[in-house]
Amino acid sequence: MTTSPTVRALYVHVPYCHTICGYCDFYSEVLDTRAAPRLVRALTAELRAQRSRCRLEPLTIFVGGGTPTTLAPDLLARLLAVLAEPPLGAELEFTVEANPATVSPQVADALASAGVNRVSIGAQSFDPAELRVLERIHRPEQVAQTVRHARAAGIDNINLDLIFAVPGQSLDSWRRSLDAALELEPDHLSCYGLTFEPGTPLHEQMKGGRIRPADPELEADMYEATVATLAAAGLRQYEISNFARPGRECRHNLVYWHNEPYLGIGPSASGFVGGVRYKNVPDTAEYVRCLDEGRSPRAQQETLSPEQRARESVMLELRLVEGIDRRRFAQRFGHDPAELFGDQVRRHAELGLLEIGPATLRLTRRGMLVADSVITDFL
Amino acid sequence: MKQSLIRNFSIVAHIDHGKSTLADRLLQISGAVAKRDMKEQLLDSMDLERERGITIKASAVTIDMEIDGVTYMFNLIDTPGHVDFHYEVDRALAACDGALLVVDATQGVQAQTVANAYAAINNDLAIVPVVNKIDLPGATPEDAAIEIEHVLGISVDQVQFVSAKTGEGIPELIRSIAAHMPPPKGDPAGPLQALVFDSEYDDYRGVICYLRLVNGTIRKGQKILLMGRGRTYVCTELGKFRPKMTPCEQLAAGETGYMVAAIKTLQDVTVGDTVTDAVAPAPSALPGYEPPKQMVFCDFFPSSGEAFEELRDALARLSLNDASFTYQPQHSDALGFGFRCGFLGLLHMDIVQERLERECGVDVVQTAPSVTYEVQMTDGDVIRIDAAGDLPEGTKVAELREPWIDMQIITPAEAVGSIMQLAEQRRGIFKKQEYLSPTRVMMTYEFPFNEILYDFYDKLKSMTRGYGTMDYHVIGYRASDLVKLDILVNGKPVDALATILHRSSAERRGRRIIQRLREEIDRHLFEIPLQAAIGSKVIARETIKALRKNVTAKCYGGDVTRKRKLLEKQKEGKKRMKTVGNVDIPQKAFMTVLEPEE
Ligand SMILES: Nc1nc2c(ncn2[C@@H]2O[C@H](COP(=O)(O)OP(=O)(O)OP(=O)(O)O)[C@@H](O)[C@H]2O)c(=O)[nH]1
Ligand code: SF4
Ligand SMILES: [Mg+2]
Repeated sequence: MTTSPTVRALYVHVPYCHTICGYCDFYSEVLDTRAAPRLVRALTAELRAQRSRCRLEPLTIFVGGGTPTTLAPDLLARLLAVLAEPPLGAELEFTVEANPATVSPQVADALASAGVNRVSIGAQSFDPAELRVLERIHRPEQVAQTVRHARAAGIDNINLDLIFAVPGQSLDSWRRSLDAALELEPDHLSCYGLTFEPGTPLHEQMKGGRIRPADPELEADMYEATVATLAAAGLRQYEISNFARPGRECRHNLVYWHNEPYLGIGPSASGFVGGVRYKNVPDTAEYVRCLDEGRSPRAQQETLSPEQRARESVMLELRLVEGIDRRRFAQRFGHDPAELFGDQVRRHAELGLLEIGPATLRLTRRGMLVADSVITDFL
Repeated sequence: MKQSLIRNFSIVAHIDHGKSTLADRLLQISGAVAKRDMKEQLLDSMDLERERGITIKASAVTIDMEIDGVTYMFNLIDTPGHVDFHYEVDRALAACDGALLVVDATQGVQAQTVANAYAAINNDLAIVPVVNKIDLPGATPEDAAIEIEHVLGISVDQVQFVSAKTGEGIPELIRSIAAHMPPPKGDPAGPLQALVFDSEYDDYRGVICYLRLVNGTIRKGQKILLMGRGRTYVCTELGKFRPKMTPCEQLAAGETGYMVAAIKTLQDVTVGDTVTDAVAPAPSALPGYEPPKQMVFCDFFPSSGEAFEELRDALARLSLNDASFTYQPQHSDALGFGFRCGFLGLLHMDIVQERLERECGVDVVQTAPSVTYEVQMTDGDVIRIDAAGDLPEGTKVAELREPWIDMQIITPAEAVGSIMQLAEQRRGIFKKQEYLSPTRVMMTYEFPFNEILYDFYDKLKSMTRGYGTMDYHVIGYRASDLVKLDILVNGKPVDALATILHRSSAERRGRRIIQRLREEIDRHLFEIPLQAAIGSKVIARETIKALRKNVTAKCYGGDVTRKRKLLEKQKEGKKRMKTVGNVDIPQKAFMTVLEPEE
């Protein structure tokens, strides 16, 4: 790829957590303080190598994981300084993921002084019993504390992640978690239904019959309650699982949903550059070895055909409340999506799941609830 | 070999009473099989036989048996015990002069013991009764012997007590065979008459005919005539089963062996036909057999549409080895192109399906088995149908008739009450009941065949804690209040789910089927009504509610590929289903029609 377009988004994966949660399907391992400096060195090396290959002028940087804030403050600061090397786009959105109880005032200051202006906190639930089911180690009140520390350091754009349909959770208890979250006046909320990913301890527990997934009807009720409650609180839904005050939508995630290029670095990180999707080795030791020896850490790579790109665009953009911009899609792929996918579009429109507007194609409220089924039809 | 030293006999018994094991002992004592080649149930050579531990196909073997310095030739045929393969027993018996009737000392006389004993008696065969498994701790050999006398009228004094496992009693049994079985009667110098009592297909030599020489002598190189078909061949190989095929120059009256004659397909030979000399034919053919009748029918569809040709080739290949099932092309709206197949019974159906999947590597979707119905048309015609879809329009039908069977059940006395209840639910007509002993009863019933097709045997087994056995044969057709039960999914009748059954059981069965469908069919994006109907009358309904939520989390860290692959996998799963009127029906759902009730 010689003529890669300018890449405007950067994702960095820090694969460390204090403990591993039972439902977690992300690539992460327990923090190894001795190995961490080597990881940071490797991340730096990968970023340098990538910068020489594509034009990186990030408008958004997202440091996720894992839990990046498990890194020692000075190490974290060193990493962030490398990421924030110019050229940076104006009005950079610079997010770091954090877990409650991992953001001391000192860490918050390290983040703020590196230019981080958004923190995404894995709150998940405000009910101690549910946190135990999820095997989260924090206590509910530590969420507020984390928010306070971030704000005190001057980071005013705050997201909270919440999980519903936790085994044993009632609709009321979910509403209480929502209320508790709203009380902290976040700018953004991500609300996900719990999924049982094969290979996770939680999945094993389900297979062994020790826990039962929530009833799908209850899950649907919870979802609908979420949309209504958050709308009333001024957090507008802009994606299936994401809600924000106007202007506080996560611009980094919007890059994914609009199927635009992004660079991903770190173990297991994926990226999309110059029409190529890739994924790095999900193994920190091997990742570090690769970079030490000057090898590429990429484990998979796939060049997408224009048709695959179009299908992926549908898959991603349909998740957005605004849906697919038909004109922009046509400019990009040469066809109006309502024609390109005529059968599927008609079928789902007839079922009341898809709305064909003059300018857009988007899921209806009911369609949002069954988005996976609808989207699958387009693949 | 002097004819007076030849003994032709079959080993018959109820399933698992030890026929094949007894044959092992005879083979071993005769020295026909070297010790290192000996294995259990040696004559069960098919993989499936070995795996299931049952005999499916009769096998013949010739052994030399020395008794007090005199060498006899035993031609014995090990037969299957299962009711589906009863025709194999009939064929074997017609090629013999005697039968070893084996009874398990722990089980006593069972349903197929009776059926096979009568078959032997009807063929005028000498019977040597054998009580087997006397080594087992629970064995009550005397009781078994008394039952033999009581039920079959064979004196206790004639009974041989053996253990086919340990070999105990086998030498005495061998003497008894020589003493009580008659030698063959035919004339080795007379005009050639040889009965084709079985056949098999070999990839290299073509059809191998199993022969019992009744009169005359057949020689290698002889020009022969198959009397039924009127076709001539040259006999290129003759031999005996020892137990491996061992060529010889000739076979004379009284002997048993095989013949190869460049016959291409099993369809070219009718089992039961008579082989004679092409130049000097015998004046008449031997009585022969009735061809086996297919009693149970079902459709096989390839589980993926593309595999139709594969399925067709596989069926053709299997029918080379098994001439007792039939197949013809069939089309279903729901399942596409496939074949309607006829079988001797349910076990046979199972076995054919398993061989298709295993030997030929094709996956099949199977529809509910059905019997053949007779339709008396208003214009006087009578047609036979074996699929609900073939039922003519109601106004053209004067009468529907279904096959009935005569059934013997042998059961511990305490289960009689529950069996009577079961029989009543299945429209059984009680005929008679006899005590075989103070604790065991033989019951005779007539049933519509259809009623015992699915789960009757399983029910009987559980009611009798495994001790009940049954045997049946078709006795004819009787008029019946039969209806066609349609199953509608999303308003569309699904042809592969339609069945013919008695009006009295339609509602119960219809409800059961749609309940099971509701469990098998995933929720869709729309509501799916399920209905069971007779004509335009809906007799049961259920609804599969529309899917309300099916959405998963974002693509974490932008791992779009993974998300896409996940969804693509779901889509692949859907492809393997059959789509009827927009509804994806998993293949398993087509089997729900087969399931027992409750
Ligand atoms: N203990 C004991 N077991 C025996 C004896 N004879 C047979 N068996 C066992 O009984 C079972 C059935 O024996 P088979 O010889 O396969 O019976 P079969 O009558 O040929 O069965 P089908 O051909 O299926 O009707 C096997 O597990 C044998 O090992 C015996 O004398 N003593
Ligand atoms: S904190 Fe997040 S990344 Fe770490 S184990 Fe828990 S869920 Fe996984
Ligand atoms: Mg056997």
